[in-house]
Amino acid sequence: MNSNTQKIVGGSLLLAALIALPHFLKFHHQDLLIFLTINVLAVSSYRIVTLTGEWSLIHAVMMGVGGYTAALLFKYYEVGMWVTLPMAGILTAAVAALLCFPLFRTTQFYFLIGSFAAGEAIRLIWIQFVFPFGGTGGLSGVEPPMVGEIDFMESIPYYYLALSVVLLCLFILYLIENSRIGLTLHAVHWKAALAESVGVDTWRYRSLAFVIGSFFVGIAGALKVHYLGTITPNQFGVGFMVFILIWVIVGGYNKFYGPILGAVVLTLFDESIRGFAEVRPAIYGAVLILSILFLPLGLESIPSKFKAWSGIGKERDPLSLTDK
Amino acid sequence: MKITRRKLIRAAAAGTAMTGTLGLPTALFAGQKTVKLGMNIPMTGDYAPWGLPGLYGCQIVANDLNAAGGVKIGGDNYKIEIVAYDHAYDTEKAVQGYKKLVLEDRVKMVMMLGGSTVASVLPWARRKKMLTTTLLPSDITPKSDYLIATCESHPLYNVTGVEWLAENHPEAKTAVIVTNNDAEYGLQSAATYKAAFEVAGIKVVDVNLHGFDITDFAPIVSSVLAKKPDIFCMATSFYVTPLMEQLYHQGFKGKIISCTLDYYNEIIAKTSKDFVNGTIFQFPDFDDPALNQAGVSFPNPADFDAKFRKAHPTDWSAVSWEYPAILLNWLEGAKAAGSVEPTAVLSALKSNKNPNFVFGEGEWWGKDLWGQDNALVGRWPVVVVEDGKARIQEYRSVSSWLDRNKAVLIRHMKDLGLRTV
Repeated sequence: MNSNTQKIVGGSLLLAALIALPHFLKFHHQDLLIFLTINVLAVSSYRIVTLTGEWSLIHAVMMGVGGYTAALLFKYYEVGMWVTLPMAGILTAAVAALLCFPLFRTTQFYFLIGSFAAGEAIRLIWIQFVFPFGGTGGLSGVEPPMVGEIDFMESIPYYYLALSVVLLCLFILYLIENSRIGLTLHAVHWKAALAESVGVDTWRYRSLAFVIGSFFVGIAGALKVHYLGTITPNQFGVGFMVFILIWVIVGGYNKFYGPILGAVVLTLFDESIRGFAEVRPAIYGAVLILSILFLPLGLESIPSKFKAWSGIGKERDPLSLTDK
Repeated sequence: MKITRRKLIRAAAAGTAMTGTLGLPTALFAGQKTVKLGMNIPMTGDYAPWGLPGLYGCQIVANDLNAAGGVKIGGDNYKIEIVAYDHAYDTEKAVQGYKKLVLEDRVKMVMMLGGSTVASVLPWARRKKMLTTTLLPSDITPKSDYLIATCESHPLYNVTGVEWLAENHPEAKTAVIVTNNDAEYGLQSAATYKAAFEVAGIKVVDVNLHGFDITDFAPIVSSVLAKKPDIFCMATSFYVTPLMEQLYHQGFKGKIISCTLDYYNEIIAKTSKDFVNGTIFQFPDFDDPALNQAGVSFPNPADFDAKFRKAHPTDWSAVSWEYPAILLNWLEGAKAAGSVEPTAVLSALKSNKNPNFVFGEGEWWGKDLWGQDNALVGRWPVVVVEDGKARIQEYRSVSSWLDRNKAVLIRHMKDLGLRTV
């Protein structure tokens, strides 16, 4: 079997498993699966921002921008979910485009801090303006639709809807990363000066990555708010941003599937230790420290480590400077 | 060790006796059904003090009821089982927890703290016709048929503290209000205090609505004390302890009134007994002799207080007795309905115009403000710290204040942009 066939077979099996999965789960685990699916889009869209080497602290808030867009359109203009989903992406991308002008005047650590400040400013707007944002209590009553006999308030139909949207978005993100734009984003990260010397506008490509990432995380926010029916500023605070960072770091960010792996494994791990309420944060913290110590390139590096250990094949370290 | 035949016979006899003893409770519970009651509450995170102590309290009450042979409902004998889910005040987890409790554990009632976590489960409460309770009646909407607030009528009871303060300290004529700027707790309480001060003829000279994650309260306290208030009011503040510390360090000599004063012993340790003495708030300790008065429906509060503090010496908070009070209220409804089914219990509770409220007879209220009479209000205690100990001064009627002044309250709620019908 050649590599492409392997990919098609593997992909088909994974898709079949994802379709069958909710039928084997308890009710509240079906919900967990929905939120996990949406969070997969959140981390994958964050990765495209990190491709340029910039790590922002505004991604969770941009998810909230998408969520609030959907909630406001639904509450005040009675716009249905089929329209609010793309509108959430478009408006979040528009907000990101505006933010590019102040934010991308900086890079690295300054960009990180600037993005955090911009995110907090947006969150404070949601909190301070009780109308239209509902203040800290947020907005509620943003329910998913009925389509014929299909009730999207029920877990399984909504899971299939979320899965379809997320898979489509992941496919587009994958195409972008493997296109000329994606290669340029990598170049902006690793060889910015060289890229500029051959006419690449690094400011524009950093901005583009930020806008694209925001578009997709905006859709993720809308998906979340329509299922939950409520949205509050706290859902998109520093706490959730830290989770996104942890998922990406623990999963790894050199491969497309790295952050997804991080989100899936850590979400399942967190749920598995739910019974140990009082020591759960300590266990979670210990696992994070251990994974950073022993897997600095993330969970995605396990297969190559295993191959190297077992001698099955030699794989080049993607970050190695000594390999040629 | 050598085992002789005599030793073997002795061991067998002892074992048989032991088995008989251990089997006794099983015999006691033979034929007994179990009714599960759910708690979808924060047990970890910032809101844990308003969740976990309630679980401890419910476990004590449930154990007592079960030890007494269970409860008789509709001709059946039931053992009560408390099933809890920690949502950590996260809406996603609140929905998951609600579904687990309702669809998997098959609980007959879900007790919750309130706020956005309740809002996120309301569509499911409606769909599954599940009796759900909140400590925040402001969660009630015209559509929330299955949501009731049978214990804490937050923040309506704050009016009783202001009324008592105005009568007992008529020299206090100006007040400042400090609280966190959130629509679920702080603003609701600030609006109620503003209404109560207006009715009592006390002028509010400043309202400071600060954000969360504040670490330095000195500037906030300095700024409001510059207005020379007679009264410092903390309206359901999440930051009572640091605010009290600042008041102490900045030498405030006026009256202090607060919705809660959780862990007031820690505040005394950080300030002084003399300073904290005289602080007015709304949540009694349950060893208070005034709880033995006629009308208080909580059974043997002092015993409950002692058991709680023995098992959880540092965990007593405002909610320690509130969730148990809701449990007892549910029990009253279930007995009246002769059923544990949620709709039957709700119907029985609502059809009683004056059901037993924790501090006496109550009445259903809320339609004028939130769209449904689903909040139980009655009399509420005014508590003052005396010689380092919380003591009930008297009970005052929330209902009669609302009858007289609800228009003022609704005006202040609207002024702060809060939802009203």
